[in-house]
Amino acid sequence: MKRKKIAFVIAALLLLVSAGIYFYYGFLFKEARNIESEMPDFSMTATKLLNEYNSNPKKADSLYLNKTIEITGKVTKETDSVVIIENNLFCLFTNKTKDKLINNNTTVKGKCIGYDELFQEVKLDQCTINKQNN
Amino acid sequence: MKKKLINFVVILFLFISGTQGFAQKLITKTGSIKFQATMPSYEEVAAENKSVSAVLEQSTGDFAALVLIKGFRFKVALMEEHFNENYMESEKFSKATLKGKIEGFDASKITNASKNFTLNGDLTIHGKTKPVSVIVKISKAANGVNAIGTFEVKPEDFDIEIPSMVRKKIADKIKITYNFLLIK
Repeated sequence: MKRKKIAFVIAALLLLVSAGIYFYYGFLFKEARNIESEMPDFSMTATKLLNEYNSNPKKADSLYLNKTIEITGKVTKETDSVVIIENNLFCLFTNKTKDKLINNNTTVKGKCIGYDELFQEVKLDQCTINKQNN
Repeated sequence: MKKKLINFVVILFLFISGTQGFAQKLITKTGSIKFQATMPSYEEVAAENKSVSAVLEQSTGDFAALVLIKGFRFKVALMEEHFNENYMESEKFSKATLKGKIEGFDASKITNASKNFTLNGDLTIHGKTKPVSVIVKISKAANGVNAIGTFEVKPEDFDIEIPSMVRKKIADKIKITYNFLLIK
């Protein structure tokens, strides 16, 4: 009888501890979204995304905001942390490679953070270069 | 015929000088905004956005800045999620803007030593607009100007509700620091 009770208490304790650990790591200290390893929700050309944002920013926001998108297009400008594709798609990198990308067709993956009306630009952040096709 | 040609040349000149007037714009796309809402002895509540857009019209001092809320990065992922979903509702209000005029701005008087200017304008956060007056420190930089400064906002001014449970962990006044390197 007593042994049964002890076994029960131990089982309950184990359950509680594992639930605690799960809550602690899975919820409180959940890893940030890792855009680099996420599968893209959309895959399209830069021109198509820009056209959709230019014609109806609200609708495009509801489709793409906060989503991981894979974009293909020609790099028109690049600086230390930024690559601009097709003049109006702004991609912010966390750590950018030293590859020369300018004027090349490139595929970039990033999180869409919205539309910038000042420059009519769509912005992506946490970008990574997926592949480069000259 | 000759008169027509002269007219044409005059119009052409006007046109060129007109477009040069447009070239007075200084811009940045990679300005930074940090905010700090940490209470002493509680967990740090702070985030940074490094992709802020801003435009300064040199001839008039008109200034506009736009920041996308989803671009704010926190150290703690859960905090970033709460910030976006519960407080800023960034699905609905994806951006914050500041539009206004820098009083007495004169590009020719900007030197390497930073000088204080007052920016009067409208600050829009969380879909709500409030008039603000902000001190901007402007100094000369290569090919443009550097504008930096700090101001404080209260969440309740912009209808941002903070539940009483976390109220004491978040400062009443949120300190916003910005840094724009505006170039031609």
